[in-house]
Amino acid sequence: MISFGETATDKLLQWLRSSGEPKDIDELLRQYLVILSKLVMEDSE
Amino acid sequence: MTAAPPMESTDQQALADEIFRLMVAQGGLFAVDAPIRQSLAHLTTFMARRHQRDEPTMSAAIEAALRDDQRFAREQVDGQVHFVTSRQGRYVARDDTDTHSFRQRLHDPEQPLPIDDISVVVSTSRPAITTVEPVFISDYWQVQVGALAAPEPEEYASEGEQPVTEVEPVPLDPLGGAPTPSEFVLAEIEAESAEPDVQPEPSAFAPEPEILPAAEALEQAEPSVLAPEPEELPVAAEAPVAPEQPFEAPRPVVPEPPAQPLEPVPPPPPPRSAYERSTVFTLADGSAIDLRRPLDELLAEHGPALRQALVEKIEQDPLGRIVSFGSRFFPEANVINLGKNDLRKIREYINERGEPLLDSELIADIFYHNARQSDYEGWLFSLNYRLYREKDFEFVGVEGVNLWSAKGLPNIGGKRVKAAEMGQLTSYLVEGFDDSAEPDELELIDAEGSLTLTLPFFSWEYGVLPLTASIQALLPPPALPDQRSAVLRFDSLQHFSSTLVEVRYPTGNRGGWLQGLEEFFHEHLVPGAVITLSRGTEPNLFVIGYDELEEHEERILTLDEKKNKLGFTNFTYYAAVDAGLLPNQTRFPRLNRLKSFPMGERRKAEMVLEHVAEVMGEQVGSREAPRYAVKLDDLFVAFNVLRPGSLALIRHLIQQHEQFEPDATTPDLFSFTPALSGDDEDEEEEELSLTDIMSDPEPTPRRYGGRYTDDDE
Repeated sequence: MISFGETATDKLLQWLRSSGEPKDIDELLRQYLVILSKLVMEDSE
Repeated sequence: MTAAPPMESTDQQALADEIFRLMVAQGGLFAVDAPIRQSLAHLTTFMARRHQRDEPTMSAAIEAALRDDQRFAREQVDGQVHFVTSRQGRYVARDDTDTHSFRQRLHDPEQPLPIDDISVVVSTSRPAITTVEPVFISDYWQVQVGALAAPEPEEYASEGEQPVTEVEPVPLDPLGGAPTPSEFVLAEIEAESAEPDVQPEPSAFAPEPEILPAAEALEQAEPSVLAPEPEELPVAAEAPVAPEQPFEAPRPVVPEPPAQPLEPVPPPPPPRSAYERSTVFTLADGSAIDLRRPLDELLAEHGPALRQALVEKIEQDPLGRIVSFGSRFFPEANVINLGKNDLRKIREYINERGEPLLDSELIADIFYHNARQSDYEGWLFSLNYRLYREKDFEFVGVEGVNLWSAKGLPNIGGKRVKAAEMGQLTSYLVEGFDDSAEPDELELIDAEGSLTLTLPFFSWEYGVLPLTASIQALLPPPALPDQRSAVLRFDSLQHFSSTLVEVRYPTGNRGGWLQGLEEFFHEHLVPGAVITLSRGTEPNLFVIGYDELEEHEERILTLDEKKNKLGFTNFTYYAAVDAGLLPNQTRFPRLNRLKSFPMGERRKAEMVLEHVAEVMGEQVGSREAPRYAVKLDDLFVAFNVLRPGSLALIRHLIQQHEQFEPDATTPDLFSFTPALSGDDEDEEEEELSLTDIMSDPEPTPRRYGGRYTDDDE
């Protein structure tokens, strides 16, 4: 089960750090959904 | 072969010495006390060949020579004779027994010191029991232990109960660990797919009564997937009924009469597939998000809810790993630290410049950072994030333009009207009396980015504009949730001038307004002028303009601030005006009789309306029973001399006021009957004739009075 805002936030933080600049909330949300999608696809495989 | 004669004792000694040297040479690299072993057979073969003797003779000679020699020890292992020696001579087995260890001496000293107080050595008090603070546990784990109800999948929501008895027991893993929930779910899926094969006999549970004893009820309350083979799961062995063969035959269940019957146990939740568990999550509003759907589709449908949920979660993070300013987010670890000295420099620089400054200006002028540097965006965010948390700084920007004001900066718009008073005077806007525009007109203003409005006397005099809905449609909204004000720049293309305007946003029951236009209004406009506000090239830039006409000269209402008295003054103006709202002496000769109440008094709208009705109304009663007839338009103009107000507010006040009566024949004409009082001043004022009004002394020159003439001079 995915807990939105808790699951894989470390990966989101890692992406935010690596980008080196502040991100808009829309961009942040899109990236987080991408991370979650990848996560669940890997789990299902 | 003839037997060899027996060896002499000297020969035996020589033989023993030879064998000793031989074995020491063999273990030349051994430790001096390490055993060196050699079998009798090997020694015999070697020595018989060396001394040209037969082996039985040599074997007997070796046995005799080494038996009495102290350097050798004889061993017999598995029927074979071995001789053992060492480089130092006789081999002595090592004794590893430790009879003098430090550990033993430490705990059992030979001469222990005397103990006067046993509590020094042994504590008689219990150790403090550490309390476990409650920690927030994710919903995931609460669902796993059954503390929360798991969200129902859509496909099972309408199907009702699922036959849990159709599922085979799931064996434990080879390591003996308990099966994980996902394994249970997978087992359920396999069981569903193999449904015909594992279908139990229908009669297996047919005779089960509705009410069962506790043991049976507990057994049925557990999902059947949790009933493994007895030899594999220890828990099963502890169960009251050991299910050797769970589906073998119907067990006769005999309810015990004294036992308390339990409620029928609800069936376990329906099984869900593992794929749905991992791809679907539910938001707080109950909407289910399936991550298998395309990203754009998800954002289009649930974008605002997802955005809000993510922001809330980030703000709730106890570690505060991600921080935000406005709609921008940045790792807290990457935020550049600004010390007190940096903040002091920023504050002094803003005060030196005398107006709010952009974040980019501050970084460029104080920290010498420019946009070409890689960490520029991080610097911008860090500066804004830090200043937002400091009480000496205030954010006065709009979305996309981060302006910062500092403590010590002079007020925009002066102090003629206090903020608390203006908030009360404009409270009618948040009380539902804002009639500045219809909803479709608001959309038009927003789309066109331009607004035309007329300046009432109060707005012209004090340089303030009530923040009506129409002006709000033009201006940007607050960029931050708790933002109090914003500073905009109004450019006048007709006069090549620029004015800073402060927008005070509505808070609670206080209305909002714009201030800072006093100088521009007094320089170029008159009360009743029609002005146009338009958006500029930047979110904080606006253009103020008016239609220029031929020169007009009129006696227009003004306020002598020193005498605190209203009067008419000759004005020469070039701006287009709304004739109905122009407070000139020709149309509104009684306006100068209005009392310039203290600003705190003007918030009493009913009192102001009564005063305005008495001054502006025509006397239609008698001296003993005064009664005034007054038009709504006159009330509106005069009311807006003393304080801002809308037609909707004045209509509401008239309807609520018992002393106002609408005229039966003329629309928007009202009669006002003032309450009788012993105040002679009112009567004296009523006796003033029109001639007296015309001959009223003019106010003294104003501080902005550059273009209008004064009759006194």
